[in-house]
Amino acid sequence: MNPQLRTALVLARVEASLLTRSLLVLAGLVAGCAVVWGAFGSAEPLWWIAGWRIGFGQLFLAMAVLVAAQLATGRARRNTMADLYASFPATAGTRTLAHLAGLAGAVPASLLLMATAAVVVQLRGAIGSPSIAVLAGGLLLVLAAGAVGVAIGARFSHPLAGVLGALALFLSSTLAHFSAGAQIWLYPWTASPDQLGGLPGPLAGYPPSGAHALELAGLAALAGIVALAATAGRARVRRWPAAAGVVVLAAICVAGALQLRPIPTADLNHLVREVADPALAQNCTTASQVRYCLYPGFGRQLSSVEAPVGAVLAHLPARPAEPLTVRQTAALSLPDPALTHGHPNREVTRWDAQVRQAPGSDGAAPASAIYLPAGSWPAGGGQLADARFDLALAVAEWAVRIPSQAIGAPSRQGLYLACVPYDQAREAVAIWLAILAAHPPVGELQGGLPTRTQFFGVEVRNTMVATWNYPGMGGTYVIPPGGGPQGTADGYLLAHAMTSLPEQKIAHVLADGWGRWLNWRTTDAQLAAALGIPVPSLSTPSPGSVPGPQNPLCTA
Amino acid sequence: MGEMTLDVSTAAVRVDGLSRRYGATRALDEVDVTLERGITGLLGPNGAGKTTLLSILATANEPDAGRVLVFGLDPRDAAGRVEIRRRLGYLPQELGYHRHFTVAAFLDYVAILKEITDRRQRAEEVARVLAATGLEGRARTRIRALSGGMRQRLGIAQALLGQPDLLILDEPTAGLDPEQRLRFRELLSGLPGDPVIAMSTHQADDIAAICPKVIVLLQGRVRFAGTPAELAGTAAGRVWAAGERDDRAHLSWRGGDNRWRHIGDHPPAAAELVAPTVEDGYLLLSHAAGQ
Repeated sequence: MNPQLRTALVLARVEASLLTRSLLVLAGLVAGCAVVWGAFGSAEPLWWIAGWRIGFGQLFLAMAVLVAAQLATGRARRNTMADLYASFPATAGTRTLAHLAGLAGAVPASLLLMATAAVVVQLRGAIGSPSIAVLAGGLLLVLAAGAVGVAIGARFSHPLAGVLGALALFLSSTLAHFSAGAQIWLYPWTASPDQLGGLPGPLAGYPPSGAHALELAGLAALAGIVALAATAGRARVRRWPAAAGVVVLAAICVAGALQLRPIPTADLNHLVREVADPALAQNCTTASQVRYCLYPGFGRQLSSVEAPVGAVLAHLPARPAEPLTVRQTAALSLPDPALTHGHPNREVTRWDAQVRQAPGSDGAAPASAIYLPAGSWPAGGGQLADARFDLALAVAEWAVRIPSQAIGAPSRQGLYLACVPYDQAREAVAIWLAILAAHPPVGELQGGLPTRTQFFGVEVRNTMVATWNYPGMGGTYVIPPGGGPQGTADGYLLAHAMTSLPEQKIAHVLADGWGRWLNWRTTDAQLAAALGIPVPSLSTPSPGSVPGPQNPLCTA
Repeated sequence: MGEMTLDVSTAAVRVDGLSRRYGATRALDEVDVTLERGITGLLGPNGAGKTTLLSILATANEPDAGRVLVFGLDPRDAAGRVEIRRRLGYLPQELGYHRHFTVAAFLDYVAILKEITDRRQRAEEVARVLAATGLEGRARTRIRALSGGMRQRLGIAQALLGQPDLLILDEPTAGLDPEQRLRFRELLSGLPGDPVIAMSTHQADDIAAICPKVIVLLQGRVRFAGTPAELAGTAAGRVWAAGERDDRAHLSWRGGDNRWRHIGDHPPAAAELVAPTVEDGYLLLSHAAGQ
C-alpha cells in the first residue's frame, strides 16, 4: 500500500478515537438525546415523524462534531506547530484525508443516539416502521457537518470559525420552515415538518427522504473535496478534486431536483380521500356497542382508547338510543406549499374542499361520534391521563346528551361559540362520570377553576358564568361533536362534591330519574337536593356583566 | 513511486546561493553551506537568519533563490521533498504542543506523521526516545502539566523519532538547566548511525563542547565556517586580562576573578594575553560585522 495512504489510515484511526472520546461530541450526544426526548414528549410514536425528530437530535450532535472536527483539523496551526508538521512526510493532504476518514469516530455517537431513540419509540408502542432513508439521513447529517468542520479547519484554525459554522448549521435548519414550498427540504434538516404528525400514515415521497439523504451525502463529499483541495499543495494536485467536485455538485443538483418534484397527483388524491372519508381506509371494531374506527397501524391504541369509554358506559343507568362511534381523523390543512407545490390551484382548491368535509372538521355534518386526531393520542405520562379524562368527559357529555345541542350558535363576529350547560344538573353528572372513569388528580381538576386573582367566565343570557377548564383540555386529544360545550365552575364543584358520596347512592338517585336528570331544565340545586348535599358555590366574586358576544345556553 | 537514489556521501547537505526575503528584510543573502555527518553548530545573533536557514533545510520553508540538496535530493521536487522528510528530524525554535495530549500519545501521533505505521515498531520507537530524553516516567503525563524544560526535551524526543539521518535542531538547549544541557550533549554525541546534525544555539560553550564544525551567520550571510578551534583562533592575540577597564576594547567585562577581560585590537595597560574561546571569536566576528 502507498505509504501516504497507509499513514492516512493509521492517522484516521487515531483521529477517530479522539473524536469518539471528545467531550464536545459527548456533549452533542447528550444534547441530541435531550432534544429528541423533548421532541417526542408524550406524543404518539409515529415512525413517519419520529425519524425526522431523531434527525433533529442528530443536528445537535452534528454541530458538536463540526466544532470538534474543525478544532482537530486546525490543531497544528493553532498550537504553532505548522512548521513542524510541514517537515513530516505525511503531507497536509494526507492529514486532511485522515481527518475526513476519522469522522468515522462520530458514527458510534450517531448510531447510539439513533438506537436509543428507536428503542424509546418502540417501547412506547411504535406505529408504522422506521424509514432507513430518514435515519440514514441523520447519520449523513453528522458526517456532512464533520466534513464541513474539516473544510473550515483546513483554512481557519481559530476555534470561533467552527462555532460560527455550527451556528450557521443550526440557523439554516431551524429557520428552514420560513421557506415556502418544497425548498424546505433543501436545508440540511427540517425540525418537524408541520403536517407530518397529522397524517394517517407515511406518504410516499413526502418528505423526500431518499433524495435528501443523497443531498447530505453529496454535501459531505463536497466538503471533503473542498478540504482536500484547500490543503493540496500544487495546482496539478487540485485537478482531481475539481473534477470530483463537479461530479458531486451534479449529484447534489439531481438530489435537489428530486426533492423539488411535486408529489404525484395519485398519491395526494389517495391522501385526501383517506382524510375526507376515513371510513374508506379505517379498520372498525365494535365493543360494548361502541364502534371504534382507527387507521391501519393504529390498532394497538384500541385498548388505551376503549378503557375510559367503557368505564363511563359501565356507570350509565341507560344509554342513548343512537350508537356512539369513536373515530380517528387526520388533520390535513390545505393549501400547504410543501405538500401541494407544483399542482394547479384548481386541484388544490378541490382537495381543500374535500378535506373540509372530513369528520370532525368545522364543515362536517354533526354526528354521534367522538373524534381522535391521528398523531395526538399521547403515548404515556400525565398527558395520557389528560387525554383519557378528555375522552371520558366527551363520552359522558354524549351520554347525558349535552353534545347534541353543542353545535355553537354563530356569534356576531361570525365565530362559533360553544354552548354553556349553565345550571344544568346533567353537566355535573357528566363530569362525575368522567371522574369515576378516568380518576384524574384532584389538583389538576381544581386548577381549572377561576382563582381570586384571575376570573374566567363567559356571558350567558346576560349573566357572567364562571367557567371550568380542565388543564388537559388544552391538548387536542379529542374532538367532541361540534367542539363540545363550555364547562362551568358550578358544574364541576357539584361533581366534585358528588365524589365524596357513596357511588351506590348516586347511582340509585340517577337511575330513579335518569330522564329527569338529562333534561336541560333540571338544575344543580335539584340534583343537590336529591343527593342531600348543599349546592357548592365558587368563592370568587363574579365581575358582573360585560358587553360582548354571548355564548348560547345548551338547551334541549 | 520510483525508488529514490540517495547520496549519503560526506557532503550530505549542500546549500548554494540561498536567499530568502521577508518583505524588505533580507533573512538570507546568497548563503553557501555544506553539512557533513556529525554535528554542525550554527551561531548568530537573533535575526541573523539561522531559523530561516534551518526551516528551509527542514523543507518547512522555501527559498526565493538558490538551491538545496539533501542527500542528493532536491526539496523543490515533490517526491524528493517527501523522501527528505522521511529522513528528517526537526525541532523548530518555537514549538507549541497539543497540550491535552499525553507525552506518549503525542510522540505516537508524531511517529505516525513520520510514517511509522506499524503499531509495535511505533511503541518501541516511542519508548526509545522517551528513555533517551529522560521522559520515560512522564509517558502518561499530559503535556500541559510539563515544565518548560520537559517540553523542550519532548521536542527533542519527537525530533529523534525514526532515527533520522538529518537532525535539525533550532535552539534545542533553550530552557534546559545545566544538568539537562550536559545530558543533551551526551545524547547528541551518542546518537547511532552518525547522522547529519545542524544545531543553532546562542550557547557558544555548547558549540565548543560537541560541534566539530561551526558556522557563524550574521545579517543573513555566512561569516565563518570551520572548526570551533579555528573560530576561537580568529581571536588569537586579541583577548587580554587586566585589572582595569580599557575603553578602547570592543568588548570588556569583569569576570568572576574580579579581572577585566578585554577583546579588541589594543592591549590595555598591564594586561596579559589569554587563550581565546569560541565565544571570543564569535564576538569579534559580530563586532566586525557591526552587530
